[in-house]
Amino acid sequence: MVGSDIVSHSLYVTVLFTVVSVAIEFIVGLFIANALAKQMREKLSKVGKGLNRVLRSIFILPFAVPAVVAAVAWKMLLQPEFGPVNALLGVDMAWTTQQPLLSIIVADAWKMMPFILFILFAAIMSIPAERFEAIKIDGASGWQEFRYVTFPAILSVIAVVIAFRAVDAFTKIFDIVYMMTGGGPGMQTQVFPLLIWKTAFSHFHFGEAAVLAVAAIAISLIFGLVLILRGRTK
Amino acid sequence: MKFSITSITKWVSIVVLILVVIVTLFPVVWMALSSVKSKEEIFRAPPTWAPETFTSRHYEDLFTRFHFVRLTVNSIIIAVGVTVISVVIGSMAAYGFSRYSFRGSGMLLIFILLARMITPAALVIPLYTLMRTLGLLDTMISIIIGITIMNLPFVIWIMKAFFDSAPKDVEEAAEVDGMSPFRTFWKIVIPMAMPAIATVVLFSFVTAWVDFLFGISFSTTPQSMPLTVGISNMQTGYEIYWGPMMAAGVYLTLPTLVLAFLLQKYFIKGLTMGY
Repeated sequence: MVGSDIVSHSLYVTVLFTVVSVAIEFIVGLFIANALAKQMREKLSKVGKGLNRVLRSIFILPFAVPAVVAAVAWKMLLQPEFGPVNALLGVDMAWTTQQPLLSIIVADAWKMMPFILFILFAAIMSIPAERFEAIKIDGASGWQEFRYVTFPAILSVIAVVIAFRAVDAFTKIFDIVYMMTGGGPGMQTQVFPLLIWKTAFSHFHFGEAAVLAVAAIAISLIFGLVLILRGRTK
Repeated sequence: MKFSITSITKWVSIVVLILVVIVTLFPVVWMALSSVKSKEEIFRAPPTWAPETFTSRHYEDLFTRFHFVRLTVNSIIIAVGVTVISVVIGSMAAYGFSRYSFRGSGMLLIFILLARMITPAALVIPLYTLMRTLGLLDTMISIIIGITIMNLPFVIWIMKAFFDSAPKDVEEAAEVDGMSPFRTFWKIVIPMAMPAIATVVLFSFVTAWVDFLFGISFSTTPQSMPLTVGISNMQTGYEIYWGPMMAAGVYLTLPTLVLAFLLQKYFIKGLTMGY
């Protein structure tokens, strides 16, 4: 039997996962996108352009890695006895059991950060160059340039990308958790999609799994409709 | 004073950039390094960086112990199947939406957009019962159908955006010349839509290649099992086969990596257009 406390706990874990993961992806993604775009604007030398291309190619890498593979790669890195992360940090931590939620967040943020990065990069690059030149003549610093030119111009893109990424993280997190922690220890990383799946395929309660599935679809529809309707009015 | 602040911000961003690049590369590099280390070296604490001895043992194990020949064939069949069905059905649907608006077509489009936001794990439950009734469990057909359902909305969305922006005069000319809509679509519209189709083919293929959910739900034996499920079977309740698992990770990533680098332009376009 799936009790309501199990369901609410699972929803809580999923929301927590979504918020922290998307926040990390956004902060890092915005920072890198801004740095790359700035470099593109200012350094027009061949070396600068080449370097920029190389960097962008590097950030494609996590996309090309299947989520299942990302999970096993991070599981290896975080392995308590022979994983390099503990050796590098000089700590003795069984990450996937002592910090299970953090572990899956790191793996997911690693995989999805480039998505936000590329969209924001495209948005920043589409800002007319004159605006940057104008504020530069006024003697603005890098931060002021970001604060008064870049940020206001891409604010609507930021809102859309965060909203979509959040819905995506909330509804689609499965592979990484399944492979890294299996939802455990206990139910600490029992995200909602995994709860539905395990109810059906580990406990063979298909009826209850169907109820949870309907609930999940209802949540998706509400989020989705709000997003689409808001998008239409803009 | 102002000069020094600017240079500090500049150096901080360079350091952060380098750090993020290292973190981005590290998991994959470590996986690749581990995949050629001997079993004894993988388990050594503290870990060694570069492999002391080079072994291809784990890669050989994939094919001799973990059915990777069969699983590779399966993954290719699934990916090609999903790609072909998605592109054929998706482009026709998108063309219909773009050229012939009918009562409720706007509403239908919103539903298709919404379908992208549905939890795939929720979709698996009814599909599983359906596949069981049809006797399609543990076949690649069931996996292909499952992934295609999740993938179609994306395909329709990209293709519709393309058709909306494409000029209609050639089609009108074909119509005047008495060409049927169906022939016009295949002979004239599709050849013009090749850039969009390239994006869609690339994304459909990658989506199917990396899929894990439908494989793990519908497949129970190597006869229908994709590679992603093969990897997950390398960790059992008793043992994790680290060496083969790292080798399998590299093996599974290589095709998508090559595609992503070669077709970078389409890749980023699909990414930014899909949303």
